Amino acid sequence: MGELFRRIHYLMNRRRLDAELQNDMAFHREMAACAGRENFGNTLRMREQAYEAWGWTWLDRLIQDLRYGVRILVRAPGFTLMAVLVLAVGIGVNVSAFSLFDMVALKPLPVRDANRIVRLERRSATNYTSEMAYPSFLYYREHARTLSAAMAVLGVPPMQIDDDQQLTSVSFVTANYFTELATRPAYGRVLDPASDGTAKAAPAVVLSYGVWQRRFGSDASVVGRVIHLNGKPVTIVGVTPLAFASLGGQHPDLWLPLVQQPYFIEHSAVLKDWTNPSVRMWGKLAPGVNANTAGQELRSLTDQLRHRHPEAVWDGEFIQISPGGHLQVMQPQMYQVAAIVGVLALLILVVSCANVGGLMLARAVTRQHEIGIRIAIGAGRWRIFRQLCTESLVLGGIGSLAALGLSCVVLKVALAKMDAPKWLSAKPDWRVLLFTVGMTAVATLFFGLMPALQIARQRQQKTIARQILVGAQIAGSSVLLIVAALLLRATQHALFTDPGFGYEQLVSIDPGLGRHNYSPTAARDYLNQMQSRLAMLPGVKAVSLVKLPPLGHIIDSWTTEVRGRKIKIFPNSVSPNFFQTMEIPLRLGRTFNPGEKHAVIVSESFARQQWPGENPLGQILGDGSNKDTVIGVVGDAHINALSNDDVVEQYWAAQPDDMPDMVLIVRSAGEPGSISAAAKTIATGIDASVFPEIRHLKMLYRDNVQQIENVAAIVSLVGLVAVSLAAIGLVGLVAFVVTQRTREIAIRMALGARPMAVLTAVLQQFRWPLALGLIAGTAFAAFGSKLLRVALYGVSNLDPASYAAALVILAGIAVLSMLLPTVRTLRLNIAAILHHE
Amino acid sequence: MNDRPDSLSPAGALPMLILRVLQSEPLHGYAIAQRIHLLSSEVLAVEEGFLYPTLQKMLRKGWVSAEWGISETNRKVRFYRLTPQGKTQLKQDLSSYGRITQAIQEILRTA
Repeated sequence: MGELFRRIHYLMNRRRLDAELQNDMAFHREMAACAGRENFGNTLRMREQAYEAWGWTWLDRLIQDLRYGVRILVRAPGFTLMAVLVLAVGIGVNVSAFSLFDMVALKPLPVRDANRIVRLERRSATNYTSEMAYPSFLYYREHARTLSAAMAVLGVPPMQIDDDQQLTSVSFVTANYFTELATRPAYGRVLDPASDGTAKAAPAVVLSYGVWQRRFGSDASVVGRVIHLNGKPVTIVGVTPLAFASLGGQHPDLWLPLVQQPYFIEHSAVLKDWTNPSVRMWGKLAPGVNANTAGQELRSLTDQLRHRHPEAVWDGEFIQISPGGHLQVMQPQMYQVAAIVGVLALLILVVSCANVGGLMLARAVTRQHEIGIRIAIGAGRWRIFRQLCTESLVLGGIGSLAALGLSCVVLKVALAKMDAPKWLSAKPDWRVLLFTVGMTAVATLFFGLMPALQIARQRQQKTIARQILVGAQIAGSSVLLIVAALLLRATQHALFTDPGFGYEQLVSIDPGLGRHNYSPTAARDYLNQMQSRLAMLPGVKAVSLVKLPPLGHIIDSWTTEVRGRKIKIFPNSVSPNFFQTMEIPLRLGRTFNPGEKHAVIVSESFARQQWPGENPLGQILGDGSNKDTVIGVVGDAHINALSNDDVVEQYWAAQPDDMPDMVLIVRSAGEPGSISAAAKTIATGIDASVFPEIRHLKMLYRDNVQQIENVAAIVSLVGLVAVSLAAIGLVGLVAFVVTQRTREIAIRMALGARPMAVLTAVLQQFRWPLALGLIAGTAFAAFGSKLLRVALYGVSNLDPASYAAALVILAGIAVLSMLLPTVRTLRLNIAAILHHE
Repeated sequence: MNDRPDSLSPAGALPMLILRVLQSEPLHGYAIAQRIHLLSSEVLAVEEGFLYPTLQKMLRKGWVSAEWGISETNRKVRFYRLTPQGKTQLKQDLSSYGRITQAIQEILRTA
């Protein structure tokens, strides 16, 4: 330690200490001269040796190399600009991707004790849900010693403020939600256990900053005002801050105390129901407790709970603890997506590095003279190699800086587009910076090592390194292009696939009777009244009931194996005239009788897959007491997975017990615009405490398509980047090769060679790398795209059209970018070239 | 430049000799060379080309420290002084040197 300190001290005071040493030696010389000895030796060399004793020579050399590297790069601005640009794209894509991942999964929420916040979810070997019954939550909160606090969030359908046309999103939270996060209100106060902890407390609502701006015109005096939510008076007590960080990235516009839920949603029994998984649970680990200890305690609590309330707990259920102090709680499938994105980003890096490597190698030819001189005057190969590596490092450093800037801009745009929480910023944090440094090192190694080795060994004329780089570039680009083509095909498929039902004139009306604790009979009466009154409205063609409405909030599915093939089934319960209302064609058999049991209707694809070449009618599905006979076959309708062509549907007749969960579907003759208001009036007439959620499917469909189009746009951009990188690299490389051989070409031409023959001779060296690169890339894509299956609805990951399109485009661009510089040379004036040489 | 001196070569022995002559009093570079020359009955001559790099290395190791003083010819020059670390080092060097010379003599006697 002391030695390091002395060395640094020397480095800082080098000038003074060197002067002192010089003085020592001068004195020595004088004394020696007096004693009659003249020969002192080479003082400069001695000073150098003395300096070397301190071990700082490497720093000097590095600075020397850096200076030289910068000079070299400045002298070739075209090359430098190109290389920096390509590196900025290659590294920038990776940094952006990592920054997004960092925001979602690594950056701690700006709340108190973010590292101790955990998400608690129910899991068993076969089941998983992120929601639990409120009484279970209370039980855990009461008994868990390893949790210092527990918060619950209950999501509900949007509510109506006063007489607004637009509904407003709402969440019910336990009163400690804000105090545990240490949220400072922008105005007024947030919910707190002392004021809002009991059902008897005065009804209170906290506004989000956004709704306060939009709906209340940023008026600070709203605090204390009484508004009506679904007709219930409630006092505004405060406004959350602009940059509010909530748990799980949820940003409703209104926050209400959970214990007051029955006041807002009349007759609701959610807070007492042990069997209704309704709230999401978050906890805060007690100080010094780790997740394992907490997991053990919760496991034993689950067992106790099973003993007391067997209906509330699954077989083999346990509480899964995951870190909750980030924007998102990562699920396994999200890691899969992250991995895919990561691999693609790395591929772009590989392509751009191969690109820059090729450029450097080509440039080495022009630097042959300079390096030859340096070696001739005594520079060792190692020294040359080091010098070249330093140059690459400078290039990589500049490229990374540009990449950081690029990713900052990309993130800024993305954050603005995605309407992200305001506490997120595009500014890179230390994790991103560290990642960038790492990426720079990796990239520099990729693009700098091979050329440096080749040049230091004076082998820049050899084609093999160039061939490897071209091959790598082509392989990487072809993978990227194939993936882009596959994703584009999938989105196109999704966009133009018929959803299987006429969605344009449909309106879904969800009264949410179950939430109001309606009994099955009461629900049946309510729905019957609604149906008959809606049917009487002018312009309404048909009304029916369905349990899981199209593009609804809840999606149910299960996976089963049919003849060794996994298929996803979407079950649904419907009223008999559902197919007619939805305009789903009946292909075979008949529809249900009202309330019919042990009968099932399946979709076309299901029937085809399950019973190929057989008559599906009369077949039996299910086992044990749940045997159902197939009575009809209807057209495919992707009710809950619009873009997924691989799924099939299975329908049952709605039973009396389903009534509280049923949703009304209305088909209008023309534009369904006026139906909303009329439906609202009818609903208020039947039960004023029920506020149905009315949604126009056309709008929902449009939103869905919009999302898909956004994905397609991003994917196309990635593909475009890949193609242009490949083109830039090839053009540059071939141009250099051609320049290098200009004289040879000119002589050949002068001797009467045909242009075609010359062309072949020059480009021959790229033939094999091009072919091998394409083959390797295709193989990699074919193998790796299995991972993509999740995103490729209805398109095979080996879809020949996508592969062919990608490969043809890439090969075309490769050939074109090779031909262009070559042909230009062929057109040159032969005499002039030869004369010049 | 080796940090672990080879005790058999004169280069390895030089730091030890310097440490030894500095034990009694701080000296400047020329005096160190003189002292070694005289004490070895003019057998050993310390070359300047060796002396100053070695002194730098010893400064780095913290065995000696340098301070300004006035020479006998009334000139400002740096005097090198033994540090406590240097003393420990000297003790170590002496004992290992003794062991090695003993071993060598053993071989020379018996072989």
